[in-house]
Amino acid sequence: MTLETEVQSLRQVPMFRDIDPARLKLLAFTSERVQFATGQRFFSQGDPSDAAYVLLDGRASVLLNTPNGEIQVAELSSNALVGEMGILSDTPRSATIMAAEPTTALRIDKRVFLELLAQFPQMSLAVMRELAQRLERTNAQLVAQSSS
Amino acid sequence: MEKSLFRYIWTHSKRDQLFICFVVLLSQPFYFISLDLPRQIVNQAIQGEAFKDGNVTAPFLELGFDWPQWLGGGSVQIFEGFQVGRIGLLIGLSCLFLFFVVVNNGFKYWVNVSKGVLGERMLRRMRFDLFAMVLRFTPEALRTVKSSETATIIKDEVEPIGGFIGDAFITPVLLGLQASTALFFIMVQNVWLGLMALGVIALQFTIIPRLRRELLRLGKQRQLASRELAGRIGEVLDGIEVVHVHNAYAWERAEIGNRLFGLFNIRLKIYNRKFAVKFLNNFLSQVTPFLFYAVGGYFALRGTLDIGQLVAVISAYRELPPPLKELIDWDQQRLDVQVKYDQVTQHFAEERLGPMIEPKEEEEDAPLVGSLTAENLCLSGSHGDTIIDNASFSLGLPAKVALISNGSPAASMMARVLARRIPNFSGRICFGDRDLAQLPASVAGRRIAYAGVDPILFPGSIRDNLIYGLRTKPMGQSEEDRREAARRLAEAARSGNPFESISDQWVDYRRVGVKDEQELDRVLVSLLERVEMGEAIYLFGLVGRIDPERHTALAERLVEARSRLRENFRSNGMADLVEPFDLDRYNDQSTVAENLLFGVPVSGEFMGRNLALNPQFRSAIDKAELTDDLTTMGLQIAETMTEIFQGLPPGHPLFAQFSFIGADELPEFQAILRRRARGATDLKQEARTRLLALPLAYIEARHRLGLLDDDLKKRIVETRSLVRETLEKGFATGVEFYDPERICSAAPLRDNLLFGRVNYQVADARHRVAEAIAAVIREFDLLEDVERIGLDHEVGTAGRLLSPQERASVNLVRCLVKRPDIMIIDGALAPFDEERAERILQALFDYLDQQSLFMVLPNDRQAAAFDVQIRVSDGRIVTEKTAGPQGRAPKPGAEAAQSVAGEVA
Repeated sequence: MTLETEVQSLRQVPMFRDIDPARLKLLAFTSERVQFATGQRFFSQGDPSDAAYVLLDGRASVLLNTPNGEIQVAELSSNALVGEMGILSDTPRSATIMAAEPTTALRIDKRVFLELLAQFPQMSLAVMRELAQRLERTNAQLVAQSSS
Repeated sequence: MEKSLFRYIWTHSKRDQLFICFVVLLSQPFYFISLDLPRQIVNQAIQGEAFKDGNVTAPFLELGFDWPQWLGGGSVQIFEGFQVGRIGLLIGLSCLFLFFVVVNNGFKYWVNVSKGVLGERMLRRMRFDLFAMVLRFTPEALRTVKSSETATIIKDEVEPIGGFIGDAFITPVLLGLQASTALFFIMVQNVWLGLMALGVIALQFTIIPRLRRELLRLGKQRQLASRELAGRIGEVLDGIEVVHVHNAYAWERAEIGNRLFGLFNIRLKIYNRKFAVKFLNNFLSQVTPFLFYAVGGYFALRGTLDIGQLVAVISAYRELPPPLKELIDWDQQRLDVQVKYDQVTQHFAEERLGPMIEPKEEEEDAPLVGSLTAENLCLSGSHGDTIIDNASFSLGLPAKVALISNGSPAASMMARVLARRIPNFSGRICFGDRDLAQLPASVAGRRIAYAGVDPILFPGSIRDNLIYGLRTKPMGQSEEDRREAARRLAEAARSGNPFESISDQWVDYRRVGVKDEQELDRVLVSLLERVEMGEAIYLFGLVGRIDPERHTALAERLVEARSRLRENFRSNGMADLVEPFDLDRYNDQSTVAENLLFGVPVSGEFMGRNLALNPQFRSAIDKAELTDDLTTMGLQIAETMTEIFQGLPPGHPLFAQFSFIGADELPEFQAILRRRARGATDLKQEARTRLLALPLAYIEARHRLGLLDDDLKKRIVETRSLVRETLEKGFATGVEFYDPERICSAAPLRDNLLFGRVNYQVADARHRVAEAIAAVIREFDLLEDVERIGLDHEVGTAGRLLSPQERASVNLVRCLVKRPDIMIIDGALAPFDEERAERILQALFDYLDQQSLFMVLPNDRQAAAFDVQIRVSDGRIVTEKTAGPQGRAPKPGAEAAQSVAGEVA
């Protein structure tokens, strides 16, 4: 796997879909590709948010701490972006991510990511657009829930 | 120092000066003989005057002299000489001439060397005297003295003085002698012409110095202006942060530009003046021959003067101007140097200096315990405001004392008084019956330690800084070549320098209660652990270098530990965390350069991009036919970099962190790529070298550009031996090659343990590897050795390579290791957060069990832990005993096992 294939993966992420190929390449180049063994944690709930991850290969579980121990609330597969909300809002991790099988991910460092956003308005706009769409979806879900 | 430069020179070098003078005078007859010989050769041998009476032979080397007429005349013959023929006389006289040439040059050589050595010795003495005075600057003077100005004075300003010293007495004596001989000769020929010459000389000697007075004034200005320039540059450099923060570049540039203009102006005035004076001087020296020709000629025509006499006078006058000119130059130089000397002595004026610090033998030295009493203490601040007004107190030592002053600097000043940092207070402070102000410096330096808010560290290792307070005098002599030592001591005696050598054994191990360096190191490390620097020292040790000569045992153990670490990785399923160095395999986690060298560069020419310029390395990869492949890789890297880094402003942090190409190089690489795109197949040599340099830093696993296939990797691995062979054949010592069975002294200790590179692509690998390394270090009991290597860590200029907390820790340990009776802490814990400061304070309480601790506290919060509280406010001092000191942890039993891990960078 080379930089090119990582760029292909990034392109599949909705947040990065509309970004210039050269910028995506820069994003990929400034990120690290890391492998997680089965059961290894990307991060744990409550940790400070220092990076976002894009899954390139493999699966990971999203776990939440509850009084009854950790429970799995979702599963992530290839091309999923995780941890980006934490680095944007500068809040601790809201969930634990654990590799469900040998998994490869692209680790996007928080500082580098924010540098890139500050430098390239096009990237900031793409991120905003994605966040706005998420908000809209949530609103729609709320409306749907309250009307049902 | 003496007010007059000449007195200073005379006091310290009269013997040498007189001796050189004597030798110069001794050489004069030889000089005159050698001047006379050519005439003799021509007259006697060639023109045959010696044979004019039909003699076939003439005496050679005849020695004798004629008595002057007024002693009755006649002649005395000492040696009648050898009778030789014409050819014999010619050869004999010529050989004699050669002999005198050698003798004269021998004299000249000796005199020049002696003058040079004399000057250097005096320069050494002067510089040392000045430095000794630097140590004596009073606190008031130090507020105005600029360090960079003082450094220029000692280094540059006294340099010309040193050059002058050799000539100070000899030149005027010699030249004066020559000039007066010539003048005397003229006088003998004709008194009036002689008086005329004398008159012009008198004129020269009165007018020229007068005109030069202005020059001296300008010279003084120039010296001050250039000294201030040096001072200003030093200030800007010291305060560069403020310049950056406030964007004051334009101002600073203009400021220096103005100073340079001022300097230029002074210089210009000096030039104008100097050459005008020179013009006048030359004119005056030419006036005399004019007078001789005009007046002398007139008298000759009138018949009152013999023409022969006139010619003799004129030829004698030819001898006069050169020594005169040199004499006037010497005088100029003398005044110049005197001005410089005055400027230097003004900088070190007596009123700016404190008393001499004379080391005395064996002073009474007893622990500072018992009672501490202060009577009628008065202290004023820097603005004349009263800080303490007629206060008295007493307390028993050893004690833990809190100095509290609720926000005002009074407590801190009280602490500085106790530490003898503020000498001008009135009243008395006594330890028992010993007056604090009267304590000899050696006793105070040993028994009192003061840690202020600003830790001052000297460049050098952490160890050097920690033991700074233990080096009060040499405890034993080092093995030194006896002849070399005798020479060193003799020179020191001749130039008033100290006899101690810094290679002697200075560290007072006994005072610390240890017997050798190793035990001392152990004490230092344990003290550092107490002040929260244990982990930092361990990490410094890991990045430190091992000297296999010095740490032979450690080097062997490390190789063992290296294989154990490898086994541990394998057995714990961590084998993928580290990719080991293997002579037969490409290491994906290393750079291409490292893979080619299979070693660590030691000298700059093999580091980084310089490698691509190294002819030996180039010839090796040329031979292996790798150059084209690497250049192609370079092209690909350049393409990718120019593509993805385009649009980032120069100076953006991402450039420095990630790009192979600096922002300023981007256009040049773009130009290379454009030329290639246009179809240029052959690249210029320079462009090829630039491209070749790029892939050297490429790490496949990290950069993931997919530039290396298995075939290329294989060929790179095969080239290793060729590179090594080529470098070794060329006697290049710039690379230390990896050897699984040996320590690589150029690589950090950690790399030596790992003998490989941490995998970039395994999550959390660094942390896990660090833990594994810590485990092996514990298992092999290497912790102490690692920490000892950590003590070798350089602190940098003013300790800038350490964090503020580390600087503060080093400062504290430097005090603690002296085992002072009285430890004074005045803000030294400020860089630590509250929790760590609290822990350090507890550690100090434990360590200073039998000693006193004075600590300045900003408020009452921590005061309860101290035995006594001294409150300084509104000029009064109130002491208060704490009923039962609280908050002090009970003595710790067993030392808690400390964890060592830390991130491996």
